[in-house]
Amino acid sequence: MLEIKDLKVSVEGKQILKGLNLTVNKGEVHAIMGPNGSGKSTLASVIAGKEDYTVDGGSITFNGKDMLELSADERAKEGMFLAFQYPVEIPGVSTINFLKTAIAEIRQYRGLPPMEAKDFLKTMREKQKLVEIEANLTGRSVNEGFSGGEKKRNEIFQMAMLEPSMAILDETDSGLDIDALRIVATGVNKLRTKDNAFVVITHYQRLLEYIVPDFVHVLYKGRIVKSGTRELALELEGKGYDWIKKEFSEIEA
Amino acid sequence: MELATAKTNSTRRVPTQAEIDKNTTILNKWLGEAETRLGSANPFAKDTQLVAEEHFAHVGLPDRKAEDYKYTHIRTYLQEDYTAKAFAANILPSEIESLLNDDFISIVVVNGKYVTEYSRLNKLPQQVTVQSLYKALQQGNEVAIKNFNRALHKSKNPLAMLNTALAGDGIFINVPETFLCPVPIHIVNICTGDTKALHNPRSLVYLHENAELTLIESYHSIKQTEKNFTNSVTEFYIEDNASLENYILQDEDALSQRNDVRQFIVNRDSRLNSVIISLDGGMVRNDPTVLIEGENSEAHLNGLFIVKENGHIDNHTMVEHRVPNCFSNELYKGVISDNAEGVFNGKILVYRDAQKTNAYQSNKNILLGDKAVINTKPQLEIYADDVRCTHGTSTGMLNEEALFYMRSRGLNEKLAKNILLQAFAKEVSNTIKNEAFRAFIEQKIEENIQ
Repeated sequence: MLEIKDLKVSVEGKQILKGLNLTVNKGEVHAIMGPNGSGKSTLASVIAGKEDYTVDGGSITFNGKDMLELSADERAKEGMFLAFQYPVEIPGVSTINFLKTAIAEIRQYRGLPPMEAKDFLKTMREKQKLVEIEANLTGRSVNEGFSGGEKKRNEIFQMAMLEPSMAILDETDSGLDIDALRIVATGVNKLRTKDNAFVVITHYQRLLEYIVPDFVHVLYKGRIVKSGTRELALELEGKGYDWIKKEFSEIEA
Repeated sequence: MELATAKTNSTRRVPTQAEIDKNTTILNKWLGEAETRLGSANPFAKDTQLVAEEHFAHVGLPDRKAEDYKYTHIRTYLQEDYTAKAFAANILPSEIESLLNDDFISIVVVNGKYVTEYSRLNKLPQQVTVQSLYKALQQGNEVAIKNFNRALHKSKNPLAMLNTALAGDGIFINVPETFLCPVPIHIVNICTGDTKALHNPRSLVYLHENAELTLIESYHSIKQTEKNFTNSVTEFYIEDNASLENYILQDEDALSQRNDVRQFIVNRDSRLNSVIISLDGGMVRNDPTVLIEGENSEAHLNGLFIVKENGHIDNHTMVEHRVPNCFSNELYKGVISDNAEGVFNGKILVYRDAQKTNAYQSNKNILLGDKAVINTKPQLEIYADDVRCTHGTSTGMLNEEALFYMRSRGLNEKLAKNILLQAFAKEVSNTIKNEAFRAFIEQKIEENIQ
């Protein structure tokens, strides 16, 4: 489904990703862990199509399409979703209208007829329940004045509404208390199917107790230096990142 | 009532005789061209015009050194070869049809002159007077006579003086005591013509005690093939416990140049809500002044200016708190693109006796493009010590983070930008309480943002 090959990315002349490889198949959940500054958020942004980065080499293929040729909105229309680490506040634009517009645009791109108003409302009610988000929040301006937890739940709510085939969760767990974390994780688990895939980027192992990954990768200094199963996350939790840093510097040396 | 406790900072230099002569020459040319003036309707008005002539001869048109016109050099827009002669307008009823709304009382004004045969007064309640100011003065209407230029008596505004000296006609509206006008009055102003014309319309709106009125004004160009300059003045008197909603749409073409002075006298327990939406392509200078003269009153000034191409829109506002316990709130927002230029210069003046004043002012602008310019200058001048006053201004590009966020959810760049701009504009259009007019304005904004 998603194939990243030898991806090299820099920002303002500084190389952040230094030849990253990752393959995600449908039905899979991958966790990407790593210390601060290893390039986790850069990876998420580059996949979503943020233009502040320069791709110096490599490729990103999604369902057979060259993602680097597509704009951010086209990638979304192809079924890619990014849950932001810091969701943006958009004063004056209600979440409902925003999602209505987004769904209309995505459906048009895929050659589907517009969604009926009653279907939209029905779907909204279902998905609101899924992420335990109050209806009054979705009537308000996108993320404006929301607490940290509300913002993250709103990300998962939008994901549920847009039904992407692949979602990248960029540190969705950071800053969440245990209840909010559980709600977010439950939402994600309910949305898992054999046809979609998730990439969960996180600094902590905690989230992975709730969203159980099929694969765990460790990103360090712009490369995936270790891959494994869920046990790798537990090992990291026990030993910390110093162990990776040490091992990796030995390899480098 | 003793009001003068704030010092004025305008120490105007005494003009030389040569300057007075030069100003007089310009004024005399225009006076010679203006065939009918308000002074011929009434001797009081005549005296007022004579005084204004003298005042204008001393100050003349503002030059580049005039601080109040720092960003709008009037002389580049209004030149001596503009004629104050009135020409017969050649507008057909079918050409204005789309501008009239059947739910409103429609007053049609062409080049500053009231055209009764195009106006629709069937919904006008008999209690409310709407007529030509000239006629009101001629018929000896006491409200018109007593108040003509009263609000501007001490004003140092040179363009207001020029208007007072030259004005020939305009609209007079009188809402009697305790009458709540149930239907909005809509003045449809049309500029037309193939001559470099200077128009000086003059209007007066009076709300007596406990009266209420929604007054909508819209400005349009039809068959205009040459530049013109409209120098308009409107005086508003809002008596005790009265309420005025005043909504303006400026939607003229690039040949239009407009200096719009409006002077509001706000009395005890009364309420003013002024909303100015400027979508012009030419030059606009909005110059509203609110004089709060009665306690426990409130004034809201809201403005949205969307300037494009080579347009220039200058918002020069003044709120004077002269008495205690009043509230004012001002919000002006600008979207400036291409080579256009926007100006915001708003001032709040709180007199020494105006304790417990709450006065707020905010100006926010979005610049689209490298050549777009905004000059913003918020000012507070406070002589009282127990007040709450704030002002703030921010200018920036569209929020890139928000744009990426929206695009990452499937909205293309153009759509995302439009939605952000419309949301930006909505904060101002939301202050229009009349639903029909608000919907019309939002449609207009949408078209102008595309």
